[in-house]
Amino acid sequence: MVLMKIAWRSIWRSKVRSSVVILAIAFGLLGGLFSSAWMNGMADQRVQDTFDLETGHIQIHHPDFPENEDVKYTINEIKDKLAQLRSYPEVKAVTQRIRVVGMAATANKNMGVSITGIDPEAEKSVFALNQKVDTITGDFFAEDKRNQIVISRALAAELKAKVKSKIVLTFQDYHGEITGAAFKVVGIFKTDNTPWDKLHVFVRNRDLGRVLEIPEDQAHEIVVRIGNFEEAPRIRQELAGIFPELLVEDWAELSPYVRLMSGYMDTMMALFMVIILGALGFGIVNTMLMVVLERTKELGMLMAIGMTRRRIFLMILFETVFLALVGAVVGEILSVLVIHYFGQTGIDLSNYAEGMESVGYSAMTYPMLEPYRYIQITILVVITAIVASIYPALKALKLEPAEAIRTL
Amino acid sequence: MSIIEVKNLTKTYHDTEIPVHAVNGIDLNIEEGEFTAIVGPSGCGKTTLMNMIGGLEKPTSGEVRVDGSVMSELSSHDLIDFRLKNIGFVFQAYNLIPVLTAKENVEFIMQLQNWDKKKMDERTVSLLKSVGLEDKIHNKPNQLSGGQQQRVAVARALASKPKFVLADEPTANLDSSATNQLLDIMERLNREEKITFIFATHDQRVMDKARRVITLDDGKVISDTK
Repeated sequence: MVLMKIAWRSIWRSKVRSSVVILAIAFGLLGGLFSSAWMNGMADQRVQDTFDLETGHIQIHHPDFPENEDVKYTINEIKDKLAQLRSYPEVKAVTQRIRVVGMAATANKNMGVSITGIDPEAEKSVFALNQKVDTITGDFFAEDKRNQIVISRALAAELKAKVKSKIVLTFQDYHGEITGAAFKVVGIFKTDNTPWDKLHVFVRNRDLGRVLEIPEDQAHEIVVRIGNFEEAPRIRQELAGIFPELLVEDWAELSPYVRLMSGYMDTMMALFMVIILGALGFGIVNTMLMVVLERTKELGMLMAIGMTRRRIFLMILFETVFLALVGAVVGEILSVLVIHYFGQTGIDLSNYAEGMESVGYSAMTYPMLEPYRYIQITILVVITAIVASIYPALKALKLEPAEAIRTL
Repeated sequence: MSIIEVKNLTKTYHDTEIPVHAVNGIDLNIEEGEFTAIVGPSGCGKTTLMNMIGGLEKPTSGEVRVDGSVMSELSSHDLIDFRLKNIGFVFQAYNLIPVLTAKENVEFIMQLQNWDKKKMDERTVSLLKSVGLEDKIHNKPNQLSGGQQQRVAVARALASKPKFVLADEPTANLDSSATNQLLDIMERLNREEKITFIFATHDQRVMDKARRVITLDDGKVISDTK
């Protein structure tokens, strides 16, 4: 206890030097944590967008469908299966989709597109595309009329289409015959992923199923939303047991890029913090070496009057850890404030929007850091301080009391 | 009864081309309750002899026996423990722990020995009272004069009830008044509580108070007067 008291008070002996070290640690951590929060925010937005717009958490298909998306490979008795899934406690929402690859054409241009037939109401509970629709010019299937289509702003620009424009979709039907129908644009959406936007159009599955001539009570895809996306692998396994004849995949299998992002961010953060804490560690070593040098006489006196080398070691270790912890606490408080502020207002990179959206990132980033990261960082700082204290402490242990006391 | 027995003690430094015999074959005994000054010119070996008696330096040959234990035969760890329990140190530059108050400085020695808090408090207050600093117990060293700091150092040296106190030039940094005050306190403690004091000094005022004066020159005892 007395060693801790001496260690704590000793930090404040040289207020300027200790403050410089504390600020160095604080700003080092602020830089590291804020950068991590920024990257984390970007990755989280990308991951969330993937769940909200592209994959959901779990998808179920006919085992042969993903290979080349042949319209023949449907899921039978879809209503029963949906009902079964809805009764599953961990399933929050579920929807069915009909999918076909085809051409979208206006008087001006033809584009290859992925056409998705949806149930608008069920779709809203699983995906968030409806929130991306420009409600000033259009809507997300608000009126129950035949052959409506929602397309992206990017595709609309390519096709020179707008709300109320007609788009002709052509594709191969269930029997292998080329077929098509004209759809009226009712809504225009825009996500942060321009390449994806250009490729996807949405119609009611009732309309698409009719043109495709898909038998009643069949669809190509079931999309499941669960409470916690991290539970997806376990639930996928359970659902695979319930539907052994179908292919059940979770988001990580459906979108390996998102899985990579998720893991990559953890690695990047760890690397960032190791570099920052490593640099801080050397700063701490330097400071504590100066402390030992300045207090040679005092350390000699302590050894002379009966303080064991173990206690000398502990005293220097405590002082180093306290110094680093003060810096860490200041740094973390600053980080919480800065990350919270930018987490609310966002970081606007509109100038680079085109480039960022071409690779699926929003120009508006909201930094975020999970609370457990702060605990992780505190533990890392303590470990760094312990490691950084070893060399100065060993230096102190080499002192001979009689010689040390003679030091001026 | 001899509390310290020094037998044919030598210390030779080989730091330079020519070996320096700082202590050169000293024999002496210190009895319990003595108030002894080791005197002599600078470089005569006073501090080296004190360091070897205090177990801070190992002799080149010969031995120091304190209360029956040969200091040079103790392991490094046992020596530190021995010093803690048996020897009190007073240094020329006071050497208090600057971040602790007078009370905490005195308690420090007892805390290292895991004393009971109540006993520790009582002894600390009593020691600081005996050196006339009962009103300064919460002052830090930088809030005390040199003489007051040295009196705290004496109280600290006595904290663990040592067998003897080694005081190396304790008055060198003090003015006359502070020196007299300090010497009076130490003399009283020696007389009333039978605490053995050994001084290394070239301060005449200390020599005048000492009841035994051992004079060194060139690492040898040239006179020993009681």
